[in-house]
Amino acid sequence: MKRMAKIIIMSALSVLIMIAAFTGCTASKANNTLIVGMELAYPPFETKDTNGDPSGISTDLAKDLAKYLGRPVKIENIAWTGLIPSLQTGKVDVVISSMTITDERKKTVDFSDPYAHSYLALLVNKKSVVNSSADLNKKGIVVDVKIGTTANTYADKNLTNATVNVLASENACVTEVVQGKADVFIYDQLTIYRQNQSNLDSTKAIMIPIQDKENWGMAVKKGNTALLNKINTFIAKYKSDGGFEKLTQKYLPQEKKTFDTLGFPWFFD
Amino acid sequence: MKRFRNPTVINKVFSALAVAVIFAALVWLSMKRIGLNLDFSTLFEYKKRLFDGFKMTIIISFASLIFSMLLGMLTAMGQRSHILVLCYACRAYIQIIRGTPLLVQIYFFFYIVGTAWGIDNRYIAGVIILSIFEAAYISEIIRGGIESIDKQEYEIARSIGLTDIQTLRLVTFPILMARILPALAGQLASIIKDSSLLSVIAVIELTQTTQEISAANFQMFENYIFLGLLYFILTFAVSMLTKWLEGRYKHENRD
Repeated sequence: MKRMAKIIIMSALSVLIMIAAFTGCTASKANNTLIVGMELAYPPFETKDTNGDPSGISTDLAKDLAKYLGRPVKIENIAWTGLIPSLQTGKVDVVISSMTITDERKKTVDFSDPYAHSYLALLVNKKSVVNSSADLNKKGIVVDVKIGTTANTYADKNLTNATVNVLASENACVTEVVQGKADVFIYDQLTIYRQNQSNLDSTKAIMIPIQDKENWGMAVKKGNTALLNKINTFIAKYKSDGGFEKLTQKYLPQEKKTFDTLGFPWFFD
Repeated sequence: MKRFRNPTVINKVFSALAVAVIFAALVWLSMKRIGLNLDFSTLFEYKKRLFDGFKMTIIISFASLIFSMLLGMLTAMGQRSHILVLCYACRAYIQIIRGTPLLVQIYFFFYIVGTAWGIDNRYIAGVIILSIFEAAYISEIIRGGIESIDKQEYEIARSIGLTDIQTLRLVTFPILMARILPALAGQLASIIKDSSLLSVIAVIELTQTTQEISAANFQMFENYIFLGLLYFILTFAVSMLTKWLEGRYKHENRD
């Protein structure tokens, strides 16, 4: 018995020593690559081109930021709910993923000055009784939102009488509205506009903003003021240099025209 | 050799403790390496939602277990049928279900089949999907059980003059149950874990609850570690049940 216990204790100790030795090695990254986290599932801001490489407004913005900082850039594609944890654990340096600045998020990460704004809008099934945001909070109304989005927070807070489904992907939400499984999908104006355009026979879009404008910011790990200050200077310079107009012309010329005609506010105004 | 086979209580306690220390040290060192401080206190405010999710996971798992047993039995018999169409249909069903990911099946059944036939309730759809999925595995367990029964048993049954029904009731069924019960209990553990995938169609069970909480409090690590713990409590209980059933099975076959 004693021998057995000895063997176990010895092996346990040796494992511990090995782990400790392994821990001793420095885990720091050797190079100074700027690692940018984003969820490549929100065209045209964060998406992939036909080769599967990151592309879109945010990737261009990330590249320009890295150029400004004089560092090489690497874009990491991370699921939406994993973005903030990636910052916390140092897996990425900055998140540029059309993320709205909220008080809740501010508790966990630090945000840059806003670089864009968006508004929530409604994609509604044509047969639904919903005609405005006032019809939302009623028994029997089914509302879909994407998990972790500001629409998710809005629904949790304001739509206590409606049935709220929290889904993992934008596609699932749109599918449910198209099929009539849900009455409404709440998301930002651009997405709602585009999804409505591709599902004209089954959906209608209600573009009147249902709450105040949302400011998008770049997020860094809490306390990383050095990087944050540089990012703020970059955003100010980028704005005055007309960088955002160039991005609009490159990615969203048609939408910009439509939004202007309809009198909807633009992202970078 | 014998003393190794029958360890003393002190040895058992020592070994278990050593294992616990090694595992805990590994987890602790991993967290220390990335400088992670965990704070589980925020979970407390969600205790009602977590408990509801926990209940829903149990309800869905048990409902699916019952329906998948029924469907599993039918398809197991179907596989042995002499009507070739029925036999092929059952085999094709098992091949397709076991050969495709559950996630694909969930999306396919809910958004295409479910929509076509008007099954819009997520919970009912979820139980149906999970039952269809697990039944394919249970069917194979039952088929294996039936095939493992010695032909001699039937010969004896016939020689003592039992009718077909009597043979089924007194010979096939008791032997079959004793053989497959442990495997079925093990399958329940799989059902419990597989039910977490129903979160993709917003069935508010334990995983979906945790995802929703994570989206609100951003304490992803705490939430998911706690989620793992809750699932482990469920599956550990099932695993103990399986052990006990295995013991009974051995007992019944004792000479």
